[in-house]
Amino acid sequence: MEEDEFKPKIVGFLCNWCSYNAADLAGAAKLEVPSSLSIIRVMCSGRVDPVLAATALLRGADGVLIAGCHPGDCHYREGNYYARRRFALLKKTLETLKLESDRLMLAWISASEGQRFSDVTNEFAKQIKAMGPNPMKKRISL
Amino acid sequence: MTKKIGVYVCECGANIAEKVNIDKVIAAVSPIKDVTVVERHKLLCSEGGKEFLKQSIEENGLTHIVVGACSPKQHELTFMNVCEQAGLNPQLFQLANIREQCAWVTPDGEEATDKAIRQIRAAISRVPYHESLDKKEVKCSPDVLVIGGGIAGIKACQLLALPDRKVYLVEKTPSLGGKVKNFNKLFTNMESGVKLIAKEIQPLLENASVEVLTESEVKQILGFLGNFEVTVTKKAEDEELNFSVGAVVLATGFELFDPAGLPQYGYGKLDDVYTSLEFEEMNSPDGSTGGKILLKNGKAPESVAIIHCAGREEKGYCSKVCCLYSFKFDNMLKSQLPAAKISHFYSDLCIPGKTYQKFYEDTKGTGVEFVRAAKTEVTGSGKGMTVKYETQTGSKGDLTADMVILLPAMEPSSDAQKFAEMLNLARDKKGFFVEEHQLLSPVASAVEGIFVVGCARGPQSIAESIVQSEAAVGKILSALVPGKKLELEVRVSEISETLCTGCKTCIDVCPYSAITFDEARKISAVNEVLCHGCGNCAAACPSGAAKLKHFTFPQIYQELEQALR
Amino acid sequence: MNGESGTGKKGQNAAVLVIGGGIAGIEASLLLANSGRKVYLVEKASYIGGNVIKLEEVFPNMECATCMIAPKQQELLQNENIELLRLSQVEALSGSPWDFSVKIKRKASYVDSENCIGCSACFDPCPVEVDNEFEERLSKRKAIYIPCAGALPNVPVIDTDNCLRFKGKDCKVCQEACMFEAIDYTQQDEELEIKVGAIVVATGFESFDPSKITQYGYKKFDDVYSAMEVERICASNGPTQGQILLKNGQEPKSLAIIHCVGRAEKGYCSSVCCMASIKIAHFMKKKLPDIKITHFYSDLCIPGKTYQTFYEEVKESGVDFIQATVTEVSPSGKGLGIKYKTEDGKENTLAVDMVVLNPAIEPAADSPKLAEILNIPQDKNGFFNERDPDLSSVTTAKDGIFIAGCTQGPKDIAETVAEAEAAVGRILSLSR
Repeated sequence: MEEDEFKPKIVGFLCNWCSYNAADLAGAAKLEVPSSLSIIRVMCSGRVDPVLAATALLRGADGVLIAGCHPGDCHYREGNYYARRRFALLKKTLETLKLESDRLMLAWISASEGQRFSDVTNEFAKQIKAMGPNPMKKRISL
Repeated sequence: MTKKIGVYVCECGANIAEKVNIDKVIAAVSPIKDVTVVERHKLLCSEGGKEFLKQSIEENGLTHIVVGACSPKQHELTFMNVCEQAGLNPQLFQLANIREQCAWVTPDGEEATDKAIRQIRAAISRVPYHESLDKKEVKCSPDVLVIGGGIAGIKACQLLALPDRKVYLVEKTPSLGGKVKNFNKLFTNMESGVKLIAKEIQPLLENASVEVLTESEVKQILGFLGNFEVTVTKKAEDEELNFSVGAVVLATGFELFDPAGLPQYGYGKLDDVYTSLEFEEMNSPDGSTGGKILLKNGKAPESVAIIHCAGREEKGYCSKVCCLYSFKFDNMLKSQLPAAKISHFYSDLCIPGKTYQKFYEDTKGTGVEFVRAAKTEVTGSGKGMTVKYETQTGSKGDLTADMVILLPAMEPSSDAQKFAEMLNLARDKKGFFVEEHQLLSPVASAVEGIFVVGCARGPQSIAESIVQSEAAVGKILSALVPGKKLELEVRVSEISETLCTGCKTCIDVCPYSAITFDEARKISAVNEVLCHGCGNCAAACPSGAAKLKHFTFPQIYQELEQALR
Repeated sequence: MNGESGTGKKGQNAAVLVIGGGIAGIEASLLLANSGRKVYLVEKASYIGGNVIKLEEVFPNMECATCMIAPKQQELLQNENIELLRLSQVEALSGSPWDFSVKIKRKASYVDSENCIGCSACFDPCPVEVDNEFEERLSKRKAIYIPCAGALPNVPVIDTDNCLRFKGKDCKVCQEACMFEAIDYTQQDEELEIKVGAIVVATGFESFDPSKITQYGYKKFDDVYSAMEVERICASNGPTQGQILLKNGQEPKSLAIIHCVGRAEKGYCSSVCCMASIKIAHFMKKKLPDIKITHFYSDLCIPGKTYQTFYEEVKESGVDFIQATVTEVSPSGKGLGIKYKTEDGKENTLAVDMVVLNPAIEPAADSPKLAEILNIPQDKNGFFNERDPDLSSVTTAKDGIFIAGCTQGPKDIAETVAEAEAAVGRILSLSR
């Protein structure tokens, strides 16, 4: 029953230079991107404070995606390296909160990879749907 | 202040309208608090659309604007300009992407409409948290400091020496000209390096805009783009000179790898094994032999072996110009000693570009021998030396030679370390200065306002060094215009003085060294001239003191909250 | 942006003409525009980005080429000081140094760039399909088209050589499909006359045609590709979306990369092909980890502080480098056979599934015409001559006219950008 009604809410933090461009390109090519995904633009994946991602999950996001430039391509040189480190750490922390760490995904998507953006987001949405709703939703009332 | 938010939904012809139910969107957002105006338009980015928007803003006295349309990458600037023309600070605007990231990627109309409503609500929630960011300008000095009086430094000065700016040329030795002033000939035209330098220096010495400081060294450089404070020590007078510049060009040149570290070549042990620079000096009219090519015993050599790539394996890179100047050596040898037998030992010939292959072929055509050898060894024999070699396919051979010229790898000058520390410049594992971007910004360093040209950057020819000097001049003249101020990026970071705990985490993560630490107050501060607005500091700051303007936590949080409704 | 359009000294007009919208032209235009100059950027194709946007990755750091250049392209298109003239070519030059008058022919695109929003609704209905030159003819495009996904400006053009309407038929399906009234068949070719103080020639390069070397089998045998074709095959926005497949639809298990194709014929080393070949090997290994790759080269040209490191990395990943002359490429069994001769005179063969030929770099095909118009001497290969070849590569014998990039001679991106900036340095220094 619940599964039929489960409409996942996925938040995507996309870096302005690469992944946001890829998302636009997916649009220009009329590819499919899950409607469950809400996109928030940041200048760099390095801007995404783990607190933001954690807040998203604690406030009931079923999945959080952070997308940035491939290592070596960051418009701001190293921002994506920091993003990678921060999220490796956050994933470990989520487990202590009894949240599946796979609800958090970090992906490198370059500006020309419209197809990849579509593939990655669709795959992620499928995974999240299979995982079911965020257990936090039952425990915290908003 | 009472907020009056205007919301405009663009149909984008049918691109948005055919998927997204705009009426439903309007109905959904109209009741939101502070939303005063909600309109739809066929094509907001058209001239008619922009005029419509401008008039609506003015007539309704709106304080914040949200547009639901295409990607901000397409038209954020367009609509921000409209806001500005309507008398509104352009930062009080948010564009919700309901085309590329909604209408075009969501096949189901109902889902597309829901998504559009979510994205526009996110923009409506976010925009009241926007700040009116005002454009800032900072004064800058149009003057330039050039460090290094070799050919690269000299060329930079020539082009920068204009009536409306001053150029300081600092050279540590007593004379200008670097290495080139000792080159009797230059490839490929065999022109005189000595004469070239004399010709290039003349205009500098006569130009009132140029201050040439020979026998001087840079003691300290503080500051940033447009505002560097320089201290130079004039060794001869034992004086210090202080002045301000807007940019610094580092042209400290190269040195040769010391072949004494390569025992197989016998350098320093056998009498007549020379480095290329030593051979150049021998040919220089002011050199120890008056320009004559002679062995240590005073006789002219009858056979010469030129060994390429000395130190290439140790250093791990190809020094690019050695093959070329070795052909120049052939020319110089042949012109003084037409009967001399010359043999080259090399691994790969590096002769890129439209002219160098012909240069090689012409040289080879005069009877010079080229042996492709994987390994070479020089040993002394009773008369002269023997060069033993082994090819890649394993066959061995040997050759006698009176004179051996080694072509050692080019290294950055020994000053590089000093300047790397003084200017906070990164160097790669080979010791060369790292560019801002190896391909797209090859003469700028990672520190804004500091340029690295010539062999300080990497081994290259005179022509390439000159091009880089010209390129640095292009970047400097473009950015530092006398009388004009530097316009700064508006969406930069800011650190709250009250919240900062002085942990310096932000300083560690800033890729642009844009954050400085105030030792007196024990807090960090962002230099808006250098900040590129990535927000890494904001993400790293444990106390929330660092914030990236226009991408603050509260602003992003508003978008997040709407996404999770 | 940063200053008013300065008026120069007497006889020195501040505007600048940049010929060629590749990376050199883009860099020169931006630097000039940001210093307050008006720039006319003339580009003969319908898109900017030249050869660089055809690449997936660039050496030595394997950076994504489109990601790297996209911010520059966007900045250029939004810069008010830069007037981009697409489908345009220089027809005539008159005047004197620092005070030139230039006639430009702008071909009609038949699409109104003010109205067009780049939705691509006009492509589907077009009944004409022709080879897409941008994709090295590996895929098709319509008669109304943009060359590839993401090409900028995102405004299509009508190819009048193939469009039915322009060949006399009464077809207007594209106009009917457009909701913004952006398609205008009444547009005319234009002739513009502009006044500029300086000119930067940055017309880029083309590749030597490998079919001239008949024994390599290009265009004769399946699975023999030119380097540019392989670049498009590797591209994520290319004809195969980055999938590497043989003509029979299978993945190649072995690959030979032949350097210096055309070097003997042209008489010079094209500077970048060794690195480009090593880059291709690197990419192939990444996509197909078990693929066996062999390079055939005469001299490895990997100068400078970073290139050798990259070569060594790729070599260590199991890629072979053989110093040899390839005498023949021909069908062998189910694939191809390479006959080669090493320096010691020994002959040998190698069987591979796929062959990539890396050809020499030539100047743009219409360089001789442009050189004549501008009255700038060229060498026998068509590269523009510098005034002082051993000193600076950007100044020409004609005051006020500068060259940058592969117009002058084969070179890599870093050197190209440096030359573009150098040309600007000269212009800003000599004319204020």
